[in-house]
Amino acid sequence: MYIEQTMASRPPMASSEVSAAPSAPFTPSTPAPAPARMMRDMMAANESKCTGKNGRLPGSCAPMVFPYVPMQGQNPQRYDNREALQRGTLFPGLDLPFHRELKTRFPAANTHLSELMALDFAIDELGLYLTTHRDDQEALALYWNYIRLGQEGRKKYEEMHGPLLQTDITEGSFKWLDDPWPWDEGGNK
Amino acid sequence: MFVYEKKLQYPVRISNTNPKLAALIISQYGGPDGELGASLRYLSQRYSMPYPELKGLLTDIGTEELGHLEMIGTIVHQLTRNLNEDDIKTAGFDAYFVDHTAGVYPTAASGFPWNAASMAVKGDLIADLTEDLAAEQKARVTYDNILRLSDDPDVNDVIKFLRAREIVHFQRFGEGLRLAKERMDEKNIYYINPSFDA
Repeated sequence: MYIEQTMASRPPMASSEVSAAPSAPFTPSTPAPAPARMMRDMMAANESKCTGKNGRLPGSCAPMVFPYVPMQGQNPQRYDNREALQRGTLFPGLDLPFHRELKTRFPAANTHLSELMALDFAIDELGLYLTTHRDDQEALALYWNYIRLGQEGRKKYEEMHGPLLQTDITEGSFKWLDDPWPWDEGGNK
Repeated sequence: MFVYEKKLQYPVRISNTNPKLAALIISQYGGPDGELGASLRYLSQRYSMPYPELKGLLTDIGTEELGHLEMIGTIVHQLTRNLNEDDIKTAGFDAYFVDHTAGVYPTAASGFPWNAASMAVKGDLIADLTEDLAAEQKARVTYDNILRLSDDPDVNDVIKFLRAREIVHFQRFGEGLRLAKERMDEKNIYYINPSFDA
């Protein structure tokens, strides 16, 4: 995340770094290796185009006093659903673990519940992504696809393990109340 | 409106009880940077948001945080089941036990009950989204800290998932802020408050 500072709060630049007239080319007081000097020339040229009321990011003349988070690019790389659930995100770009994490205990066995959780998680992640990337048509198509798959997966799951919504019909009795509930021991098999 | 689905977002299967750990993890239930504060903050901020992406974003993330609240409650519940006389005297847990037994109560690990002062709704688009960025970082750090304090792999597995979610939420709030900025006065984003002015 980039946070720009106002010009007033930045320390004044050393005289060797700034020329007398804003539009004059930058001249270093000590010789620098060619690439660094080129970079400084480019930056100085860009700065002279900015009004002095702008800061600098990758890309020039960024407005200041505003937190800046780069947008995730369109059509991003994705994990497969099971791995995504294990890692906590569908997107490798957002996967930044802490050094203290142990190896995941996500079951090797494919239970109905773990499959449904993985699919629903991919749906969650895509839905969230689409909220800030509503024009990503490929992501949208994938999202609807997963939702259709999910509808089938749900029916199968419910036949074996009971209803997921209170309003799911369970012919014969009000199975909604049956144990286990999700927080119970045995509620996550 | 809220609909409840009878499954967790990620499985919680804790094999061993650990009241001391439960008394720390409770901070993500009712502590200053926990999931209760997060969900209430986002679900409350959404009313004064002017743009549909932000209404969607705050509703979506606020709802997911309620699911996380449920997961933390589940962890605490499973860590404190079938306790014996010695377990309840565990330092750190005994003070919680005396008031709540093995119930799940929204408090911080310090014993300080959940308080709305730990969250803000400023009614200003930039202030609220910036607050949300900070909130996600604080939650992430709290999960980092839990990972330092816990060596139970069943617990850490869930904590690592919840931590990863905070990083993703941070990214989305940042994107929301960018999307909002694009619609604000280019020369002076503070000229008006889009959450209040016409």
